[in-house]
Amino acid sequence: MPLISLIVLCAATALLTNRFLSPFNLTNILVQSSIMAVIAMGMTFVIVGGGFDLSVGSTAALSGCIASMVMLEAGIAAGVAAGISAGAAVGLANGLVIAFLNVNPFITTLGTMVLVRGVVFLITGGAPVSGESGLPGEFIAFGSERFLGIHYLVWVPAVLLAVLSFVLHATPYGRRVYATGGGREAAYLAGVPVRRVIASTYVWCGALAGVAGVMLAARLQSGQPTAGEFYELTAIAAVVLGGASLQGGEGTLYKSVIGVFIMIVLGNALNLLNVDSYWQRVAVGAVIIAAAAAERLRSHRSQ
Amino acid sequence: MTRPAVSAEGVSKRFGATVALDGVDFDVTFGEIHAVVGENGAGKSTLIRILGGVHRPDRGVVRLDGEECHFASPHDAIAAGIVTIPQDLRLVPALSIAENIALGDLPVRRFGPFAIIDRARMRAEAREVLAQLDFDPDPRASVASLGFAERQLVAIAKALRRRCRVFILDEPTAALEKREIARLFSVLARMKRQGTAVIYISHRLDEVVAIADRCTVLRDGRVAALAHRGAFAVNDLVGAMIGRLAQEAVTAALPASEPLLEAQPDAAATVREVVGLAGLLGSGADRMIRGLFGAGGEPTTVTARGDRRRLASPADAIAVGIGMVPGERALGLIMNQSVRDNILLPNLDALKRIGWLDRDAGDRLVAEVMELVDIRPRRPELKASALSGGNQQKVILAKWLARRVAVLLLDEPTQGIDVAAKVQIHALIRDVVARGGGALIHSSDLGELARLCDRVLAVRQGRIAATLDRPASLDESTLNNAIGG
Repeated sequence: MPLISLIVLCAATALLTNRFLSPFNLTNILVQSSIMAVIAMGMTFVIVGGGFDLSVGSTAALSGCIASMVMLEAGIAAGVAAGISAGAAVGLANGLVIAFLNVNPFITTLGTMVLVRGVVFLITGGAPVSGESGLPGEFIAFGSERFLGIHYLVWVPAVLLAVLSFVLHATPYGRRVYATGGGREAAYLAGVPVRRVIASTYVWCGALAGVAGVMLAARLQSGQPTAGEFYELTAIAAVVLGGASLQGGEGTLYKSVIGVFIMIVLGNALNLLNVDSYWQRVAVGAVIIAAAAAERLRSHRSQ
Repeated sequence: MTRPAVSAEGVSKRFGATVALDGVDFDVTFGEIHAVVGENGAGKSTLIRILGGVHRPDRGVVRLDGEECHFASPHDAIAAGIVTIPQDLRLVPALSIAENIALGDLPVRRFGPFAIIDRARMRAEAREVLAQLDFDPDPRASVASLGFAERQLVAIAKALRRRCRVFILDEPTAALEKREIARLFSVLARMKRQGTAVIYISHRLDEVVAIADRCTVLRDGRVAALAHRGAFAVNDLVGAMIGRLAQEAVTAALPASEPLLEAQPDAAATVREVVGLAGLLGSGADRMIRGLFGAGGEPTTVTARGDRRRLASPADAIAVGIGMVPGERALGLIMNQSVRDNILLPNLDALKRIGWLDRDAGDRLVAEVMELVDIRPRRPELKASALSGGNQQKVILAKWLARRVAVLLLDEPTQGIDVAAKVQIHALIRDVVARGGGALIHSSDLGELARLCDRVLAVRQGRIAATLDRPASLDESTLNNAIGG
């Protein structure tokens, strides 16, 4: 179902403007989708487990800035590791509060979203991080060059999709995530350590937001404190468009990625058709509501 | 006074795969107490829900005072004069007696477009209707301050105020003491004299014999018998309720050997033994079961095969070889997942091969165990929510059988299940026990415990109050005598 929507959307856009199918535009779509796809995969873990994470945008910004700052002092590898770890740390904080203190995920991650954004501005002084002569050349190259004809940035979600799909579908841990989201109490009574499982989904989400943040810094050639705004909403919309249930227990990584493509292509189409950027926000918001409503109707009918 | 107040003619109803009622004829006349009895899953609840406007029958007709009626909701039924008093009473404890009685139809004083509650009239009406029940509390007292028996009178008063002519009482005496039951009976006698029709659902067959003018026995969704006062006794009812299945095989008493699990003194599940936990509503027996599984809120210490173990979570209990079938099916299954996923959930570690799950081994295990418990339809990819109640319960059992647990804890394992599935589940429990395991069952169906258990522990207020060995028959009075009052 999501794949069909995507194909229809692409076909419609291609008919409306001949700039859609240009190599430049398609590459653009792929690269933009890559970063969002990584975030959406992390979000899928959380949503399948029955939760919700609004802090991914801020986390991505934090990771990008920390990666850049560390990179300038200690090299690319250290920088990337620091960035991803920062993301995982935010995820862990979210996970502990939500799973062990039982605070509502919406409130918790809303708080984290604001808090982390504040931290980003504090450590960067509000300015982009790129050092006197910019970030290391190889890192910037990663953000713009290709390997075997495909952008490095596009390889990242492709590889992650393969690995994470394996984790989510073929390991006991993955089954336990689905079980926890599908029925927390029943999973608990079947021996699943639900609190640990829920916390772990947030760690995945934070770490992947960290990866996305690093990718974004490579693309933007600097750590931007303002990066990632509204990413969380696009990610959640993508996951819901991909068929995941907000109640938990349903959804796959592959379909979430399709959902990402739908959101990005939609934005791209509106751009190409010269639609005002404010109207684009209206469109994205409307799609989120429509997707969530369609999902509720579907789950009602199947009962 | 012999015209039918309410009647159901040829009523049938099915829910998904389950046929709840199949061509049932039933009627109650004004001034009559008509009892409906039957095993769990026989169709009693469905019948009264149809009469009370909760469900619409698939086939058949409901008549009120001779005229066909179609209730779209319980509200319609109440407006027509049929009220159901459920076991949980549906009162609002935080509100006063008068407010509860008036709820839904509050007396008001109007000032133009505004309306204010007329509290004086509300209290007066409450007093008046409660007087009919010989009950005289302060109407301003909150319902929360009343005991269950008195709350029940408030619920009845509420319906009397609406001038309901047909009362449906669902297990009204389940939570009452002897004295309170006597009071309720005199209230019912009064209502009968005033021409009210009463439909009385109960498991307590001796009460039914005492109070009912007529008694309908339901079995498997059909009317198995209709008897008139004076012409039937408890045994007749039991015979009609069970029918052909009256001769269930009784477990041969194997000598109980070493204890598999011990918690409090006497709460031991031993090898090859089925132990029952019998307790009236609120006895805490269900909490005991959860406690033995590590799901009781606080960690429990048990002795499993001689080793002292601390169970702080169900995962701990499962590691020791205990499985639990919880009192609500929604707690025993992940409803939106497949039968296969549900069965494998506590068995994932056994199927691990260097980090990933062995699909084929999983498929084989699922197929084997689905065959063993006879799950129908035999499709492992079907969502758990699509199965009937009996089959869902079998899936819950299957996941523990796949794990070859040593001790099976069961909380109301056959509640709301059709009789055929019930017999299968009993056989499966006896199988576990015959292979060297033990079972501990909590059930409010004392007949079930009598048929199934080698030993029955009577529970009161969270503690074991008495032990009965090999109860040949078990009913409320034996239990009460054992507990001591």
